[in-house]
Amino acid sequence: MTVPPGQEPPGIRPYLRSPAAPVSPAPPAAWNRPAHRAPDNLRPYVLTSGRVQGDDPAVNLETQVTIRPGAPPDAARSMPTELQAILATCVSPVSVAEISAQAHLHLGVTKILVGDLCAAGFLDIHQLEVDPVHSPDVILRVIHGLRAIS
Amino acid sequence: MDSVRSPDAAPIPVKIVVAGGFGVGKTTTVAAISEIPPLTTEAEMTSAGVGIDNPGHRVNKVTTTVAMDFGCVTIDRTLKLYLFGTPGQARFGFMWDDLVRGALGALVVVDSSRLDDCYPAVDYFEQSGLPFVVAVNAFDGVLANDLESVRWALAVADHVPVIAFDARERLSVRDALLVVLDRALDRAVSGSHS
Repeated sequence: MTVPPGQEPPGIRPYLRSPAAPVSPAPPAAWNRPAHRAPDNLRPYVLTSGRVQGDDPAVNLETQVTIRPGAPPDAARSMPTELQAILATCVSPVSVAEISAQAHLHLGVTKILVGDLCAAGFLDIHQLEVDPVHSPDVILRVIHGLRAIS
Repeated sequence: MDSVRSPDAAPIPVKIVVAGGFGVGKTTTVAAISEIPPLTTEAEMTSAGVGIDNPGHRVNKVTTTVAMDFGCVTIDRTLKLYLFGTPGQARFGFMWDDLVRGALGALVVVDSSRLDDCYPAVDYFEQSGLPFVVAVNAFDGVLANDLESVRWALAVADHVPVIAFDARERLSVRDALLVVLDRALDRAVSGSHS
């Protein structure tokens, strides 16, 4: 980790410097960099401008995500390849964990980027109306479904 | 968010955590029943790492990238079960909190000849109140210790099922998951007043 001398206080990692904790979701400024292939040694949270907390705590590993119908296809083409890769996996309903695996992105990074893309109008995050943990009906359906496996 | 249910609507996702130490058969368990080959995702974890993997001058925090394997079973068009295999170390507590939020329950996979590997998982689920089942993986159909000895050694409460299963057999994994779901159902019924 090399910090240019005299520029930053020591101990702060370069990718954590800017921007100072965005309150509103999705700073699209991060998308304005040219859509070239990122170098392999890029630190994962560069893509999120150093943010390590997702905007939406309700986004979980299994949360389902889909392309928002009518999202402008032209705007997606100027995005970094990582974001395009996320959009490409969401054509049919898919979980955040699957997006992470298929787009080869860290889970934490994926959650933040999915939140950004939702805030920008490209993705729908499907929140559950009822927590399955407290729903005997849902659990019984899972039980019946598993019993049918042979 | 979306109130219209189209044929392509997103299913309700439910999840069960598959926990245990290294090499006890978590990924084998997931692979046995998943309809897709298990996928791997990487998560970056930060946790206190006192005395473990001493990183030299960075004393108080350890950032580690851990791999997590997962698979899924489509129950029907509107319901999908995810199985997440978790790294078993106690010091990855941050990840477990994330995993356990919204989970129906957990299957703690145990190698009966290396019981101590599962202590962190058992401790964690007891404290978090997540319904869990201890499933002793019978490597080659043989248990190094009988189930009562395992129960005694782990000192789990009487209501926690301790079962034997074979992580390579789809039906055996299915039955183990059904025991977890039974416990999950108990929690859901006792928690709701309807």
